[in-house]
Amino acid sequence: MEILFFASIVVYFAATMLQAVGVALRKEKLCRAARIAFAVGFALHTIFTAWRGIAAGRLPLANQFEFASGFAWSAAIMGLVLYARLKQEWVLTVSMPVAFLVLSYAAFQPMEIKELMPALRSTWFALHIGSATFSYAAFAIAGGLGAHYLIQLKKGHAESEIRMKQTDYMAYRLICLGFLLLTVVILSGAIWAEQAWSRWWSWDPKETWALITWILYAIYLHQRMRMKWQGRRMAWFAVIAVFCVLFTFAGVNKLLPGLHSYAV
Amino acid sequence: MQFGMILLVLVIACSAAGSLIVQQREPMEYVNRYGSQTAQLILALKLNDVFSAPYFFVLMAALCLNLTLCSILRLPRTMKAAQQLRTNACGVQPTSALEQGQADRLCGLLKKRHFRCEECDGRKIYTKNLFGFYGSFLTHLSFLLVLVVGAAAVVTAQVTDQTVMPGETLVLDDGASITVEAFQIEDATGKLDYASQLVMKSADGKREAAKQIRVNEPLSFEGYKVYQQTYGTAGSVLIHNNLNGASEVMTLIEACFLTLDGKNGMFFQALYPGYVTDADGSVTLITSTSGDYSDPVYDVLSVSAGMMTPVLAFPGETLTIGDVSFTLQDPVSYPGLRIKHMNTAILGALYAVFLLMVAALYLCFFTVPVAVAVTQDGYAVLAPKTQTGLLIDIQSCLEEEE
Repeated sequence: MEILFFASIVVYFAATMLQAVGVALRKEKLCRAARIAFAVGFALHTIFTAWRGIAAGRLPLANQFEFASGFAWSAAIMGLVLYARLKQEWVLTVSMPVAFLVLSYAAFQPMEIKELMPALRSTWFALHIGSATFSYAAFAIAGGLGAHYLIQLKKGHAESEIRMKQTDYMAYRLICLGFLLLTVVILSGAIWAEQAWSRWWSWDPKETWALITWILYAIYLHQRMRMKWQGRRMAWFAVIAVFCVLFTFAGVNKLLPGLHSYAV
Repeated sequence: MQFGMILLVLVIACSAAGSLIVQQREPMEYVNRYGSQTAQLILALKLNDVFSAPYFFVLMAALCLNLTLCSILRLPRTMKAAQQLRTNACGVQPTSALEQGQADRLCGLLKKRHFRCEECDGRKIYTKNLFGFYGSFLTHLSFLLVLVVGAAAVVTAQVTDQTVMPGETLVLDDGASITVEAFQIEDATGKLDYASQLVMKSADGKREAAKQIRVNEPLSFEGYKVYQQTYGTAGSVLIHNNLNGASEVMTLIEACFLTLDGKNGMFFQALYPGYVTDADGSVTLITSTSGDYSDPVYDVLSVSAGMMTPVLAFPGETLTIGDVSFTLQDPVSYPGLRIKHMNTAILGALYAVFLLMVAALYLCFFTVPVAVAVTQDGYAVLAPKTQTGLLIDIQSCLEEEE
């Protein structure tokens, strides 16, 4: 069944390429083919994830490979749902490479199915880690939308004003969603830590960087809602903040060992 | 307001430093890791213990103060704005013109979006999510409460670590007791599963709770939480007085001298989990205590008539020294328990503020209050927060219909 995983990467890659060429050349047929490929890739990815969950006898989110796969899956489903609602190509133009790149990262992680270690056997497992995958996916797509906005701005408003506003607004809404989910991640993690280790908060590197990410996006939202920052400034913010998300997701596991070291 | 942002940036800087620089180590370790000058700087700035440093507490206190002021200043404004939105919508002049037939299409869109419709001075007032006015206030308040109640939960909790042998009962200061009925390292299928079967009783003995505890599954009882924290393995010896026939089983955790007369007896030194027999027949003891005690070996000294004789003994063996027999038994595994006593009201409050925070953020982001005044000639959108999404939707709706 691992062939499905690699097939998903290949199909996501094909979708990303078709979409990029389709958007660049303004060929609707290519974009349609990209959408179909992306949906196929997502279906393969879903089957693989379901199979892995059944084979492992648990939610497949217990290590870095599974989390990255879940992250890519969340990005893909978010992209597809947003496209179904908004019918805007740029949503897929951003979510396709996110899904492809994150899944490619997963391919470099140890793939073997391991028994869930005792510390992870908890009712909080699904909520804590499931929320994290969707939160990271929302931030990653928002960062992609920020980059898309900046590229369009550099081209001199290749898209209409309303599309630019829509891109900016969608990035903001995704950050709202990601922030809410990251809050759930942090709070459920605190409750879980108290159940497992008797402490709500240990300043473990993963906890600390999740908090840093949370504060960073809190600043984004505050400046957006109170100081009415919009457009280019917020786009840059969304792009830069993604690096913090990526460090929390992957960098901490590799560079700063701690209580969450089983996530490697 | 921007002061709050500065504080948040400082919290980020402190947190990053606290995670990137190893914390709470000996000064020499910093010298070895970072060099003498950098180590001096780290120690001078207390970057070796950021989260306990005075400046970090000051920062947190300032953040709490900022949030308190934000909440206090925000509430009257929020209440006033919530009351005035509908009034303002009645009197507002349209800011965007509508052409023939567009008013009906706009009303259709707003109805589809579940806006509430009212008539006011010949115009239609559509309102939605008025409770969302309080989202921002509640978000600030909940953040403040999480910090305050969280700090209270940490400060008021009383935590003690205890080792209790299976079959023994630990009596706590308030009279409540914890009995460890059994402890296991593996479950019936051979999988690692550190679990203790506990019975906890109240001080008056009238109420009790029984549970097998393991990681993620502590025992909760009347403000106490008992965690399966660690485990250990101890020796066990049956001591028999050959003169009067009395017997007693003793547990051997640390080095001790077992004697009746103070001169003759058995000196327990250590218990080893196993041994390896080398090719030449010599025995090497396994000193690692992290694994199973598959072939346990007792390292003891037989002390008799002023002579000490080293002995390596196995479970089942009996050493008779003077009038006393020492029968070494299979080792016993025991749990290390963490007992935490917490005020249940604070615990409940903490869970409540967690829920409040999630609900407040939902209100803040996803229930944005808005009123739209629609006349036949134009419309106006009144909202305290960014309404780009609605404005885009209205614009798109009107453009599409054209």
